[in-house]
Amino acid sequence: MLSFIIRRGFGMLISTILVITITFILMQLIPGDPASVLLGSNATPEQVAQLRTTWGLDQSMPVQFYRYFVNFVQGDLGQSLFYQKPVLQMIGQRAETSIFLGIMALFVVIGVGIPAGVISSLTQNSWTDNVLLLVALAGASIPSFWLGLMLMILIAGKWHLLPSSGFTSVFETGNLANLKNLILPAFSLGFVNAALVARTARSSMLDVLRADYITTARAKGLAERVVVVKHALRNASIPIITVISFTFASLVSGAVVTENVFALPGVGSLIVQSVLKRDYPMIQGIMMVVAILYVLVNFGTDLAYASLDPRIRYH
Amino acid sequence: MPIDDREQQEILTGASRLKVIFDDTIKFVTKRRTTLVAVLILCVLLFIAAAGPGISPYGANTLNLTDRLQGPNASHLLGTDNFGRDILSRALSGTRITLLLGLSISAFALLIGLPIGMLSGFYDRFGMIVMRVVDAFMAFPAIILALSLMAIFGKPGIMNVIIAVGIVWAPRMVRVVYSSTLSLRENTYVEAARALGMPSFRILVRHIAINLLSPVIVQATFTFAFSIMEVAALNFLGVGIPPYVASWGGMMNEGRTYIVRAPWIILFPGIFLATAVLSFNLLGDALRDRLDPKLRRIM
Repeated sequence: MLSFIIRRGFGMLISTILVITITFILMQLIPGDPASVLLGSNATPEQVAQLRTTWGLDQSMPVQFYRYFVNFVQGDLGQSLFYQKPVLQMIGQRAETSIFLGIMALFVVIGVGIPAGVISSLTQNSWTDNVLLLVALAGASIPSFWLGLMLMILIAGKWHLLPSSGFTSVFETGNLANLKNLILPAFSLGFVNAALVARTARSSMLDVLRADYITTARAKGLAERVVVVKHALRNASIPIITVISFTFASLVSGAVVTENVFALPGVGSLIVQSVLKRDYPMIQGIMMVVAILYVLVNFGTDLAYASLDPRIRYH
Repeated sequence: MPIDDREQQEILTGASRLKVIFDDTIKFVTKRRTTLVAVLILCVLLFIAAAGPGISPYGANTLNLTDRLQGPNASHLLGTDNFGRDILSRALSGTRITLLLGLSISAFALLIGLPIGMLSGFYDRFGMIVMRVVDAFMAFPAIILALSLMAIFGKPGIMNVIIAVGIVWAPRMVRVVYSSTLSLRENTYVEAARALGMPSFRILVRHIAINLLSPVIVQATFTFAFSIMEVAALNFLGVGIPPYVASWGGMMNEGRTYIVRAPWIILFPGIFLATAVLSFNLLGDALRDRLDPKLRRIM
């Protein structure tokens, strides 16, 4: 297991370096001189020259990359142009909302997706199965922001059951009830992915339920619940975990739009504002932080695989 | 392809061969009800896109301030927005731009993905490096990469959207082509061609490229579905195509101010979008099962 962790860890390191490199290269593509773009059209040539020296833009590309890399390793992602604060600090301030939203959406993904898939597989070809399949199929094609807006119209606007937008920190106010504001966003964000998980869980369970050891388990008189949960679901879990790990990227993507729809002060709405304001250091910082998180999640998924299925460790 | 199939195809020529293709297509489309529905919807969307302004009751940008914020009624079937523009006409006009963007983005992903994927599947060393880069690109969540690229390009525009979303989906295409090439090159006929001294380039074009058709078609269909969803998200966030071009995502964005008074401004473009995405997903599923069942495991 240790050699497996080391090998995967090395791969993770390479991915991280590549992520930083790609971000650096992309930022070089901004047309024109970054210093004058960032200072705006009113800047004097002296100001531009000064900023170029401060940022080291007058140096060669490899030197620039080296500085950029060293800064990153030291946790310095630069200064936001709009907020005039360190990028990492801004991301930190906005992280709470996004993390709560992500966790709650993940609850929807797992809590709705897996049971729906399992029920569907156990009642194959019945009307329950067909209805669940149909909902899953439609769910996977509905844009999450549209679903969010529709829920907002009905549940928040018409029936006044839940708040429609905004969020204040749970830590600062100490009020857990604030999480109520995240129920609608989390549901609209999680539903699309729950649909994918349900489809995967269903087909994976169907494969496993036909296996001989399931027949054996039933034959020796085990309770159906034990057969399904302990024998079938555990063996069907690898593809399900894969899809759930994919949902990380799609949850982040969805969160960008969902936070915007529900006016939530998260990292997603931060990047949209930064794009509209051309706050390049902020954009670059969010890109890197999110991509590296993704690499870490993948690493975690690999470890989860290896502990669920020992055969994987030797590949 | 089994030998008897190929012999059969060589015997069949001209009209009879066309008939076989036609019959095969009909059989594929009608085999599953969902495929049939998907194909019918896509035909309607294609017709709407092709017919353009000819079939819409009003101009997509015709202002009519006396009719503003009307609910669905006889003269405006899907209602009007805050400028009195007809929602139906705008949604129809959005169909054309959506399909155009989906097609261009899939083509862009294909143009990059096919050659790079083939070469990396064929040459191990090159492949190792490319796949690392592909993995790194895929570490950026789709919308974050697309948004950042739009910021880098500097201004909203159709071409910029095609390139930004194309760059997001190209690495996924590279990966599919790569893994298919890896398994194709193990075939005996590739070995035979090599033994006969056929140059690598010709092997790639004559033996590998032809057989990549199935996985590539399937992936392109899914790329289409995902990319129109992403374009809609970009337009919804106001960083996609310019606001004066009617688009489904843009319409939903404009409707947000009037979400309580006039929910239909958001409702109908969303239905158009979801229907289009659903049809492409259904078609993709059906094509995958028909052309390459093995692919289910890769994707």
